[in-house]
Amino acid sequence: MNFTLLKHEMLATVKLFCIILAVLMLYIISIVYMYNPEMSNTLKQLTATMPEMMAAFGMSNIGDSLIEFLSTYLYGFLLLILPLVFMIMLANKLIMGYIDNGSMAYLIATPNTRFKIVFTQAFFLVASIFILLSTTTLATIIFSEILFPNELDITAFLTLNIGLFFLHFAISGYCFLVSCSSKDLRTSYAYSTGVPILFYLIEALGNMGGSLEKLQYFTIYSLFDPEKLMAQDSSSIWMLGALFLIGMLCYMLAIRVFVKRDLYL
Amino acid sequence: MTMIEVNNLTKKFGEFYSIQKVDLQINKGEVFGFLGPNGAGKSTTIRHLMGFLQPTEGRCFIKGLDCRQSTAEIQKFIGYLPGEIAFIDKMTGQQFIKFIAQMRGLHDLTRAHELMQYFELNATGLIKKMSKGMKQKVGLVCAFMHNPEIVILDEPTSGLDPLMQTKFIEFILAEKEKGTTIFMSSHMIEEIEKTCDRVGIINAGKIVATETIADLKKRKSKKFLIEFHNEQELSRFLEEPFKIEKIGPTKAIVKVQGNVQTLLPTLANYQILDLDVISQSLEDIFMHYYEKGGTES
Repeated sequence: MNFTLLKHEMLATVKLFCIILAVLMLYIISIVYMYNPEMSNTLKQLTATMPEMMAAFGMSNIGDSLIEFLSTYLYGFLLLILPLVFMIMLANKLIMGYIDNGSMAYLIATPNTRFKIVFTQAFFLVASIFILLSTTTLATIIFSEILFPNELDITAFLTLNIGLFFLHFAISGYCFLVSCSSKDLRTSYAYSTGVPILFYLIEALGNMGGSLEKLQYFTIYSLFDPEKLMAQDSSSIWMLGALFLIGMLCYMLAIRVFVKRDLYL
Repeated sequence: MTMIEVNNLTKKFGEFYSIQKVDLQINKGEVFGFLGPNGAGKSTTIRHLMGFLQPTEGRCFIKGLDCRQSTAEIQKFIGYLPGEIAFIDKMTGQQFIKFIAQMRGLHDLTRAHELMQYFELNATGLIKKMSKGMKQKVGLVCAFMHNPEIVILDEPTSGLDPLMQTKFIEFILAEKEKGTTIFMSSHMIEEIEKTCDRVGIINAGKIVATETIADLKKRKSKKFLIEFHNEQELSRFLEEPFKIEKIGPTKAIVKVQGNVQTLLPTLANYQILDLDVISQSLEDIFMHYYEKGGTES
């Protein structure tokens, strides 16, 4: 690990991090604020008017408890997509950004092995996602406790967020792998954005039911099941395991590819 | 002692050879020029030295360490100036220099400040807004600030104005005095001539020749463009035992190999309007080696 590089990345990312976090916070606070029995009745009516549309974003069965309410409105779309945007931008910047503009030459022309450089960047990516999700989790808990004391099932909520972190760990691993192995920034952006978005769309279409339902077993998002996580269902354990494995494999492969690859700098 | 050693280095892209069987030996304290036109394989060779590329065949060593395996170890005593000028955007020159120094674990920035002063670099502005020459200076400071034993420079003078080029040449000569081993690529023969002890000439991925600058100079022919007062003078001059090429009614080009002494007394007998030295281009040098079928030493 190179701490100079880590510090540099921290300073260079703080702006993007804050923007993403601010948007997330805004939504989280408004969603928590919206939780009250009457309001959820209105939302239920809305769902009844266009069930397919709402189902696509995972908002089909609105529960009565606060945690079910949150998982429906936050963990079906917002907390999947916004961290994804953050990861894609960061993963591409951390490796391919330097290769594409040529400044990687200066980084690896210092007495640091390529492994050290790429490991630092991978660590930074994972740590950023972890901090982002920890902050939102903590904020949700605090805000819920202030507005609705003792309403939130904290254990279930933590499990849900651990699942979310593992999901994003796996996807960020994929993005990082693309960033390490592509030939230029454009290709890197295309693949690291295209595949997760495609998966998400398939998942959304699958949620709408009908003949497309089977499709969603082909996407990584099927390994993130909020209901099972909240219920601490035994199958959620192997789903977490699978996500962890995918993430680890991607990161390990990414590091290997970067250490071995030809660099035209 | 051999500082840089390149053995049978070959890099293939698909069916195309970027470089083929390149062999080089550079000794301690030597300034080695690497001469060749654009796309000849200069940068590819340098990228192998830096460990950026995996050779298809062959290996290269710096101070006996494999360039591909011991990259971090090698970087401790090496300075590098990339051929492409690229830095991290959103940083000022000073921030970047400090950042790279920290990445090197270098805390003493006195040399960096000396260099900035020498090259008249004001690095307080954003790199993004700097001119090409200023960026090149930032790169030079990064390459030399840790007093490296060996320096690898990929086209160091590109972007520098003539005044700075002269200053750079003086700087290289001073580094040579200090005993630094320097490997620099260029497509300008003049700057190689002024600084280097030996030169390697590469074309189309192959080393055409490696020889000392003294030999190169001896072999290099000089061309003079002479304008005579009138046509009679020229036709009289054509009788002289020189390689003369008539290019106009009163103009001719004379090619002299080695000593110019023979030409000057002869010219004194003629009425001349103008005399111009035509600097020899890289192509001329290559032609010379092609005619000879390439000598390898």
